[in-house]
Amino acid sequence: MSDLLRTFLRNRKAAIGLTIVLIYVAIAIFAPLIAPFDPVARVGRPHQAPSAEHWLGTTRMGRDVFSQLIWGTRTSLMVGIVAGLIVTAIGTAIGITAAYFGGWVDDILNFLTNVVLVLPQLPLLLVLAAFLGQVGPWAIALIIGLTSWAWGARVTRAQAMSLKTRDFIQASAMIGEPNWRMILVEMLPNLLSIIGFNFIGSVIFTIITEATLEFLGLGSPLATSWGTMLYNAQTASAIMVGAWWEVLAPCAAIVLIGIGLSLMNFGVDEIANPRMRTLGNVAKTLRIEKRLTRQRMQEANQ
Amino acid sequence: MARYFPSDRWFDLMRFLLKRLGFYGVAFLVAATFNFMIPRMLPGNPADIMLANSGGMIAPEARDALMATFGFIDAPLHEQYFAYLGSIFTWDFGLSIKFYPMPVADVLMQALPWTLFLTGSALLISFSIGTLLGILAAWRRGQLTDVIASPTALALQSVPAVVVALCGLYFLAVQNRVFPTSYAFNPSLDPAWNWEFISSVLYHGFLPVVTLSVVLIGGYLITMRNNMIGQLGEDYLAMAEAKGLSDARVRYAYAARNALLPSVTALALSFGALFGGSLITEVVFNYPGVGNLLYLGIVGRDFPLIQGQLLIMTLAMLLANFAVDLAYVFLDPRLKRA
Repeated sequence: MSDLLRTFLRNRKAAIGLTIVLIYVAIAIFAPLIAPFDPVARVGRPHQAPSAEHWLGTTRMGRDVFSQLIWGTRTSLMVGIVAGLIVTAIGTAIGITAAYFGGWVDDILNFLTNVVLVLPQLPLLLVLAAFLGQVGPWAIALIIGLTSWAWGARVTRAQAMSLKTRDFIQASAMIGEPNWRMILVEMLPNLLSIIGFNFIGSVIFTIITEATLEFLGLGSPLATSWGTMLYNAQTASAIMVGAWWEVLAPCAAIVLIGIGLSLMNFGVDEIANPRMRTLGNVAKTLRIEKRLTRQRMQEANQ
Repeated sequence: MARYFPSDRWFDLMRFLLKRLGFYGVAFLVAATFNFMIPRMLPGNPADIMLANSGGMIAPEARDALMATFGFIDAPLHEQYFAYLGSIFTWDFGLSIKFYPMPVADVLMQALPWTLFLTGSALLISFSIGTLLGILAAWRRGQLTDVIASPTALALQSVPAVVVALCGLYFLAVQNRVFPTSYAFNPSLDPAWNWEFISSVLYHGFLPVVTLSVVLIGGYLITMRNNMIGQLGEDYLAMAEAKGLSDARVRYAYAARNALLPSVTALALSFGALFGGSLITEVVFNYPGVGNLLYLGIVGRDFPLIQGQLLIMTLAMLLANFAVDLAYVFLDPRLKRA
C-alpha cells in the first residue's frame, strides 16, 4: 500500500494535483478560522469592488465574497466526496458482480448499466430536483450519487473481465475459494487503480453538477456553496452591472479544484497504463535518445 | 473453404441494427416509466401545485384536463400507465402552462431546431478539431503539439459548461461588446432565407457554439490521443512505413483510420455532456432552444412542459446513439462488406 502511494507521489502530475486538492481540503476544514466574515451577514455596501477589507468584493446583498468562497469550499467538497463514495460503491459493486458471475447476472446488470448510460442525465436530474422543490446540498449529493454510477460500472466491469482470465484468479477459483473471498481478496485489490480513477472522476463530476444544478436555481438558497453563489450572482445580474468578482470567484474555485483532481487522475492513469505517459516523461526520453544518437554518430565519424 | 454469401453478412448487419433498435426501445420505455413515476412518488400532485401557482390563469374546470395530462385519471394504476404511454405515442404531451394554451408538442417543436443547430455545429467542430489534434499529439508525442494541446485538453475537461459560458458572456459580450448577450437572432428581423437573417443567426450563435465546443473538445482530444498511442507500436504501421508510404499517409490512412473506431464508440458516451452542456449554454445566453425551455418550465412550474421536454431529450439521445451505431457500421470493415 505504501509502495502504491510512493509510486503515486513520484508522478509529478499526481503530486501537483494532490497538493492543490489538499489545500482545498485544508480550507474546507479550517473555514471558520480563515473566513474573515460571516458568509450570510450583510457586512458592506452592495457590489463593492475588491479592496483590502473585502478581498473579493461584496455581493449585491452586501455579503463578503471571499468568506462565501471559503465556506462554499466546505459544502462543495463534502457533496463531492459523499456523492463520489456512493457512485464508486455502486459502480464497483455492479461492475465486479457482473464480471465475476457472468451469465444471466451479467446480462441483467450490463443491460441496466447501458440503459442508464443512454438516458440524458442532466435533464433527468433537473426534473427530479424540480419535483422535489429546492433541495439542500445533502439531497443533491444523494441524487447525483444514485444516478451517476453507470460509467464507473462499465469501466470496472471491463477491467474485471480481463482480470478474471488471469492465471492467479483461475488458480484461486480452482482451489475452491468462496465467492466473497474471490471478489474481496483476489479481485478488488487488483482493481484499485480503476476504482480510484472512478472515485476521483466522480468527485469532479459531482462538484460540476452540483454547481450547475444550484446555478439553475434548484438548490436551497440558504446553503452557501459555489453553485448558490453563481445563482445569486445570476439573479442579481452581476455580470450585466459589471460586478465580475461575484461571478469569476466561484468560477475560478471550481476550475482549479477540477484541474487538481484531474491531474491526480492523470497520474493514476499513467501508473495503471504506462503507455499513456505523456509530456515530461516522454520528452525526457526523447531528449536522451537524441543525445545518445548524436554521440554515437560523432563516435562513428571520428 | 466455407461458402460465405454476401447475404449472410447482410443478415448479421440487420440483426445488429435490430438488436440496437430494440435496446433503444426498452431504454425509452424506462425513461417514460420514470417520467410517469416521478409525480406519483412525490408528495402532492402537480395539477394542484400548478393551479395554486397559476394565480387564476388556469380555470378550475381545467383541473381534470390537467390531471389527465399526467395520467391521473380515475382508474387503477396500470390503466393510468397505459393511458399515459398511449398519449406519448400519439405525440400528445398536453397543454403548456407557461405558454397556455399552446400544446407542449408545438412549443417544443419551435425550440428544437435551435438546439439541433447549436449541438450539431458544436459536435462537428469539437469532434473534428479534437480528433485531429489528438492524432497529431499522439504522433508527435512529447513535442510541441502534445506539450501544449494535451494538458490544455486535460484542464478543459474539468471546466464546467456554466463557467465557460459565464466567462464568455462576461468577457466577449458585456466587457467588450463583440457578441450579443442573448437571443438566436436580431429580434427586429423576420425569419427568412436571406443573408441578413442568416448572418444574424450565425452572429448570435457564435458564442454559444464556441462555448459548447470548448466544453467538449478536451474529451475528444484525449480519447483520440489514447487510441492513437495504442496503435503506434503495431506491426502494420512499420510495414506501411517500410513500403515507403508518406508520413501523412501512414498517420491518417493507417493509424488514425484504426484509432477512430473506439473514438466513435466514445462519441456516444459524450452525448450526455453534449445535451447537458447545451442546456446550460442556452440558459446563460438566453438562447431559445429546448434546454432553455426546460429551465423556463422548471422556474414556472410548468409540469407538462418539463415532462414532454424530458421525453424529447431522451428521444434525441437515443437517436444520436443510433446514428453512432450506423457510423460504426460504416467504419468497421468487418461489418461494412455487407
